[in-house]
Amino acid sequence: MAQLWDYLDQELTPERMTAVQVHLEICVNCLPHAQYGQRFLAALHTCGKDCAMPEALRERVMECLKREGLMS
Amino acid sequence: MDNDDGSGSVEARSDFERQVLPWMQDVYRFALSLTRDGSEAEDLVQETYLRAFRSWRTFQPGSDARRWLFTICRNAFLRQRERQRREVLEDDGDTDGSTSFALHARMQSDGSDRILARVDLAPALDKALAELPEPFKSTVILVDVEDQSYEEASEVLGVPIGTVRSRLFRGRRQLQEKLIDYARDAGFASAAAGNGDGDDNA
Repeated sequence: MAQLWDYLDQELTPERMTAVQVHLEICVNCLPHAQYGQRFLAALHTCGKDCAMPEALRERVMECLKREGLMS
Repeated sequence: MDNDDGSGSVEARSDFERQVLPWMQDVYRFALSLTRDGSEAEDLVQETYLRAFRSWRTFQPGSDARRWLFTICRNAFLRQRERQRREVLEDDGDTDGSTSFALHARMQSDGSDRILARVDLAPALDKALAELPEPFKSTVILVDVEDQSYEEASEVLGVPIGTVRSRLFRGRRQLQEKLIDYARDAGFASAAAGNGDGDDNA
């Protein structure tokens, strides 16, 4: 389980990714943890995604940049 | 009309527009994740773009503009919060994240994992993430919400990859602890532990 987060984050070498994947296919103790981790990360990934930037902010930033010398 | 004055040529400004402006929505989302306040996030976005424009000549051509903007944004956020000093992370031994899964094992023992398997985690996580303290919050947002790799997050945060991992795993563990509280507050955990069929212990 020490490398489970690294595995779920796809931060292991290809060889280690394969080794962990094979392990999860046969280990009844580790698989539930991996499934929980995947679900946890999937839910976390959606946090804050429903926020559309106000269009007025874009205009405000552009005005600010134009005052600094950006010509658009 | 190429008027190269060396410090803000037409070409440089055009590059800025092309490479940096398209990321404004992402920067806003990142700013909102950090501040959890719409008005503050807007100010932070403006500050970020202003700083980015002023330091555009330091941007390495070919590098990741989105990541560069995240770096500027987070640094501006920390300045606003008067947290310029480097956070000292206590080493609690959780450098491989195994305590997170030990936590899950405890959840399995009291049945709260079955409850969490049936509910939508996103609302609880959204709230928990808002309450997560720095430096864990920025790290979790960068990796788990904004899809930065460990290496990319380390560049934004200005810390070694090992520190990113440690902060990330600790942040995730703290979020999971909040999920346990969420399940227990719902009054399900004790019932799932088998205190009696149909008992209402609420």
